[in-house]
Amino acid sequence: MVWVSAIVQGILVGGLFALFACGLSLMFGVMNVINLAHGDLAVIAAYLALGAVTVTHVPAIWSFVIVVPIFAGGGYLLQRTLLQAALNRSVLTTLLVTFGLSVVIENGLQQFFSANSRALNIGNLITESFSIGSQITIAYLDLGILVVAVVVLLGLQFFLSSSRHGRLIRAVADDREAAQIAGVSYRHVFGIAAAIAFGTVALAGIAFGMYQQFDPTIGTDQLLLFAFEAVVVGGLGSLWGTLAGGVLLGVAQQLGAVYNAADQMLAGQLFFLLVLLIRPSGIFGRKETA
Amino acid sequence: MPDLSGTPATLLKLDGISKSFGRVAVADNLSLELAAGEMLGIVGPNGAGKSSLFGLIAGDLSPSAGQIFFDGSPVTKLDAGARCRLGIGRTFQVPKPFGAMTVFENVLVAVQQGSGLRRRASYAAAGAVLELAGLTLDANRPAERLGLLSRKRLELARALATGPKLLLLDEVAGGLTDPEVTELVGIVRQIKERGTAVIWIEHVVHALTATVHRLICLASGSVIGDGDPAQVLAMPAVREVFLGTEISASLGAPGQENG
Repeated sequence: MVWVSAIVQGILVGGLFALFACGLSLMFGVMNVINLAHGDLAVIAAYLALGAVTVTHVPAIWSFVIVVPIFAGGGYLLQRTLLQAALNRSVLTTLLVTFGLSVVIENGLQQFFSANSRALNIGNLITESFSIGSQITIAYLDLGILVVAVVVLLGLQFFLSSSRHGRLIRAVADDREAAQIAGVSYRHVFGIAAAIAFGTVALAGIAFGMYQQFDPTIGTDQLLLFAFEAVVVGGLGSLWGTLAGGVLLGVAQQLGAVYNAADQMLAGQLFFLLVLLIRPSGIFGRKETA
Repeated sequence: MPDLSGTPATLLKLDGISKSFGRVAVADNLSLELAAGEMLGIVGPNGAGKSSLFGLIAGDLSPSAGQIFFDGSPVTKLDAGARCRLGIGRTFQVPKPFGAMTVFENVLVAVQQGSGLRRRASYAAAGAVLELAGLTLDANRPAERLGLLSRKRLELARALATGPKLLLLDEVAGGLTDPEVTELVGIVRQIKERGTAVIWIEHVVHALTATVHRLICLASGSVIGDGDPAQVLAMPAVREVFLGTEISASLGAPGQENG
């Protein structure tokens, strides 16, 4: 029964991983930007939510209404300025620039908020839960985060497959030159993709801030790694793959924790390496054609 | 102040365009004018600068010197997407469909971005373009599953869907059989009859001479012949650059240009 419980907890936390991962996957898939500051962005979102709660006294759970639009706008602007300038030089430059951004963000956060851990206070919700049988306990917060993740991924999938702008994003991701001769301003479309990626990472960051304590460096210490692992396990270019990747990573971690609480991270990492070894294109990824 | 935009009937004007890659000049102080609705063929040996000329007109390449005017306004500083929306459509020599999208979606993107149509109007326009290109039955197939002829048709359809005033065709007939070439030439003629100006680069010279009324021969980034197709092909300078290579290729011998 303890195994079943671990699997359930893994699935629950997997939604959060997938929420972290989808923005990373989108930015890489559309503009070939590997955003090394992705985890730090989530942490900024958590601090921003903390600030929004302090200033406006909205309940923490509604802070996303303020934070997500700010992040989406910021994402568009950052893409059109710094990231586009880096892309104009080379794809490799974007790696250096986002790495630099990560360092700047972490030091900035430490400067303003100190290295102390913080948390988004959601009152009783943090402890409320319901039970299935005698062994399986499901926290409402965990379930809520999973539901949000699934809804966001569903929405994103629908947007990409059925809307005009979604089609433009797919066109630019497929072939930038071809998109231009179809009349597409690819820089603007890049900006839209970045806005979506930043919006999702803001949601993930706020959810994480409710889920556990955060500090200025947790972005690269944990979140970036989880996001990368979820993307790689699931396979690039597939949102369902990303969800599955997040869930599988969560389950692997929780199963490791059953064996020994200290082995939680190790189990996740080993599972990630195993997938890389057996199926480098990811479980749901397309096989490399070239 | 000279009239840089040309006469009102001038659709495209290149004024002293230069561009080189290292020591290789793909355009050497090149000037060219095209009237609205005119159809112009371009021939020239490998590396003459034919595809680069399209890159310069469509906005993929920036000239190191000179100005480009389209429809009366300077476009030299606009990127490819903006020039497309102004009315410059083009095809690539090797078709570049959006592989994971359906044929219909490929065309729909071009209709919505290039012509600015939305919703029902854009679906109808996309349908009409597919019909002209003979792709109606393939509308819901993923573009990556198309064969070469259908890919070439899709490349043409997507360019047409942007509602161009000028269409740049880069070797639409390359790699196709004679009946297939005849079919595509038929589509190009229909496009021309609608009043769209066309510049057509082609290695299959007989496909060109059967269709265009004006032919330009490029060599090393310069125009070495411009005028009636038969007269241009008869010029000594043109015959010299073609000697042995292009004429045989046009007769269907192996060794066609791919780059």
